[in-house]
Amino acid sequence: MADHLDEPGLMSPGGDPSIDITDIYAFKKAGVDKSILVMAVNPLTISAAFNHRALYQLAIDTNGDARADIAFNITFSRPHSEQRVVVRRATGDDARENEVEGRRIISGRTNTVVSRDGYKLFAGRRSDAFFFDLAWFLAGLPLPHTTIADFFAMANVDAIVLEVPNSALGESPNVGIWGRTLLPEDDDGDDGDDDDDDHDDDFAQIERMGRPAINTVFMAGARKRQFNRSKPQNDRAEFTGDVVGVLTTLGGALGGASYDAATAATIAGILLPDILTYNYTSPGGFLNGRRLDDDVIDIELGLVTNTARTTDGVGAHGDLLANFPFLGPPH
Amino acid sequence: MEKINRRKFLTLVGVGSGAVAGGAMLSGAGLGLLGGRGGDKPSGTFSFRAVSGLPGGALPSYASYVVQGNVDVAARSGVVARAVYAGYPGAMSTIALPGLSQVVRVTDVREAEGAVDITGVIDDRSQLRPGEDAVVQVRVDRSRGAAWTRFLGQPVELRLHT
Repeated sequence: MADHLDEPGLMSPGGDPSIDITDIYAFKKAGVDKSILVMAVNPLTISAAFNHRALYQLAIDTNGDARADIAFNITFSRPHSEQRVVVRRATGDDARENEVEGRRIISGRTNTVVSRDGYKLFAGRRSDAFFFDLAWFLAGLPLPHTTIADFFAMANVDAIVLEVPNSALGESPNVGIWGRTLLPEDDDGDDGDDDDDDHDDDFAQIERMGRPAINTVFMAGARKRQFNRSKPQNDRAEFTGDVVGVLTTLGGALGGASYDAATAATIAGILLPDILTYNYTSPGGFLNGRRLDDDVIDIELGLVTNTARTTDGVGAHGDLLANFPFLGPPH
Repeated sequence: MEKINRRKFLTLVGVGSGAVAGGAMLSGAGLGLLGGRGGDKPSGTFSFRAVSGLPGGALPSYASYVVQGNVDVAARSGVVARAVYAGYPGAMSTIALPGLSQVVRVTDVREAEGAVDITGVIDDRSQLRPGEDAVVQVRVDRSRGAAWTRFLGQPVELRLHT
């Protein structure tokens, strides 16, 4: 539940787990001037395939204004046995459009690694790298924590893994990354027309995610959907109150001390906008990007609860790969 | 003083023998307390469905805990199912989170303080989390429109829907 199933009831215009982002990862590839960007979707692999009507986007902010300056736009063909996947790179105003913009940089088929011009791509089913004792969270983080179990140990996702030259992320090594999924604005369902694969529509954002668990932990009720539909550039103005509300009550509710309002507001200013900050010259992990084995929940637990809770007791999965696509094979 | 056995007593007060087994007199009173709602059936069984958001308290609810059961009051038997669905109450999906569903075999039904207390056991131990008790308690109180049970050992109050 880094961001798994964060669309209430999954009753969005999408209504489709295949556009439900579970996690975003960004980390430096060892020994070379490249980065690995990962967008995982389809929690618990409820859907059979990537949505061929959707636009999957990895947005890159290169100047700290929480607006996309570069976007990797990923689209899929109608599912048969496999899907054709195309990645385009858009810059400037094109990166901020809700359209399939940009120059095609790499393409291939799902479940196959392809390489081209310094890029590498994999899109397909993999083991979910996220680890968390979800049941403990649902129980309200009680202590003593005697029922430790990793809810995601046997879970799969559909993942888009993109290896990019760091130069493709902009000149400054300090970037912000988030993922978006979008559907055609006038989505009237799948009419069976192969033209659906053209992706020439105007799109509307359905879901977005930068850091893990921001929406899940801090947004209540209908705010979850509002958060998913909004832009990072507006996060501090629109959602600081939601974050402060949790931070000023949670620690106390868990038997510790809650943050005072001023401190909570300062932390909210760090957590928002919901963008994964990343220096592509640094191999360090979360909060610098996010590696597949970073224990983001333990890091965030301590922060969010003011150390009333510091670990969920579970660790990284043992099925991660040393090489591309890094995510373990599906269970 | 003449001793009177339970069967004879129930016959005297006009309760048929078919209702005697399993302490139906007491449970029948409990059924009366439950009465007047759509979930009750004339056969002496009742059904209920209750929902709560998880987590509760200071954390925004992320999922819905659904507890529903069919209980034969006379026979003190039945089945209760507990499951967690994605989406908070009011926007709940049909997606049950795997590994968090449990089937409870009812082993006892008692009236207490105007409510009905249901005791059961989870026979399939694979449905238990490490350290989780196999014995389950559920209290159903229609007058308050609420039910209570535990999730991972933590008390949860649920809103009765039927």
